[in-house]
Amino acid sequence: MPLIKGMLIERPSFRSYFHSCGVFLSVPNVDLPPLCSSRFRSGPPGEEAQVASQFIADVIENSQIIQKEDLCISSGKLAWVLYCDLICLDYDGNILDACTFALLAALKNVQLPEVSINEETSLAEVNLKKKSFLNIRTHPVATSFAVFDDTLLIVDPTGEEERLATGTLTVVMDEEGRLSCLHKPGGSGLTGAKLQDCMSRAVTRHKEVKTLMDEVIKSMKPK
Amino acid sequence: MAGLELLSDQGYRVDGRRAGELRKIQARMGVFAQADGSAYIEQGNTKALAVVYGPHEIRGSRSRALPDRALVNCQYSSATFSTGERKRRPHGDRKSCEMGLQLRQTFEAAILTQLHPRSQIDIYVQVLQADGGTYAACVNAATLAVLDAGIPMRDFVCACSAGFVDGTALADLSHVEEAAGGPQLALALLPASGQIALLEMDARLHEDHLEWVLEAAAQAARDVHTLLDRVVRQHVHEASILLGD
Repeated sequence: MPLIKGMLIERPSFRSYFHSCGVFLSVPNVDLPPLCSSRFRSGPPGEEAQVASQFIADVIENSQIIQKEDLCISSGKLAWVLYCDLICLDYDGNILDACTFALLAALKNVQLPEVSINEETSLAEVNLKKKSFLNIRTHPVATSFAVFDDTLLIVDPTGEEERLATGTLTVVMDEEGRLSCLHKPGGSGLTGAKLQDCMSRAVTRHKEVKTLMDEVIKSMKPK
Repeated sequence: MAGLELLSDQGYRVDGRRAGELRKIQARMGVFAQADGSAYIEQGNTKALAVVYGPHEIRGSRSRALPDRALVNCQYSSATFSTGERKRRPHGDRKSCEMGLQLRQTFEAAILTQLHPRSQIDIYVQVLQADGGTYAACVNAATLAVLDAGIPMRDFVCACSAGFVDGTALADLSHVEEAAGGPQLALALLPASGQIALLEMDARLHEDHLEWVLEAAAQAARDVHTLLDRVVRQHVHEASILLGD
């Protein structure tokens, strides 16, 4: 089973904002700095970083990892905004899988302090001593494949394999076998049967990744 | 008065250290596979990562190539989550550019650039958690990364910050001590020759006190050198075991 390649560090930070419904409650941002690979130049985020950011935003939205209601403090007035910043430190292909995995692990780690609205002053009061974990409803796991010449499929491609591939495919599944996202940006075609193969592989991968993550989270020292 | 909080009567600082005591330093070399050289350092709660690519051909315009030596390019980036408040711009802002320039000037003094004419050496530094002494942590990490890349240097470059409170010079300032607003000095030293690669001071300091602060910073830098030397030897030892010598 190929390991997750490419290390990521992510830490969602939070702010309470006055807002009305319709504002983004989670703002993901994927950064591919020049230090992770000589492919990337310094400057504004390139194509790949922007595509990855949008992909993560879609995953959060579609798989409903967190519900908007959970982030709400006082409806119509105050809610949490989660800033998810993912930085790639070492790029060796398959960035989307690693981003999703890091995002999920970090969201499971987030602790939000209790906020209450003082009736007299109508200001928010934050109680840093009482923190609770986020309510993570689903656990989406991404599985990427590299396609070669319409026939060969490789799971979890490395940087070299990605460069030589004629197409890529990313499947995001959650634990009940529901598809959150299917990302196939052009490239060589795939038959329906091959696609089904990919889905079943994604289901197996989900189990493996979920066990690994649960182990890690359990082994973490409580703060 | 800020000075009363930073140094107690018994001579202990906010985090329980003595005046000349450094924070715990942990460092690792060769952490990444993609880069030519990489290193990770933790100085107390400050965490910095340095990655080196090169020497390689000049990127962009060939006209920037220097005929007799290598071009050193440094970029400093502070992660959005590195400080208590989320940073809007991780790089490209004024402070990052200034830091990048300072790092470049520091390393141009240390790297033997004459050995690689017409080429470029990229040093990227990423601060993952900032708790004071970020310049020092960056320089120390970058030194290890350059050594990991096998780029020849005149000497180690070891850096440390120092401040002055209540008539005592403090070495290795944490964020709390930096934010108090007293004089701060950042020093980058080449330990073997005792030469100063970079010296920068903020806020007012009486010239009589400068010597003490400078000595505190230099001593701290020499302590850092002992540690980094040990890290490098350990790394080389491990690498040679893997190669099966």
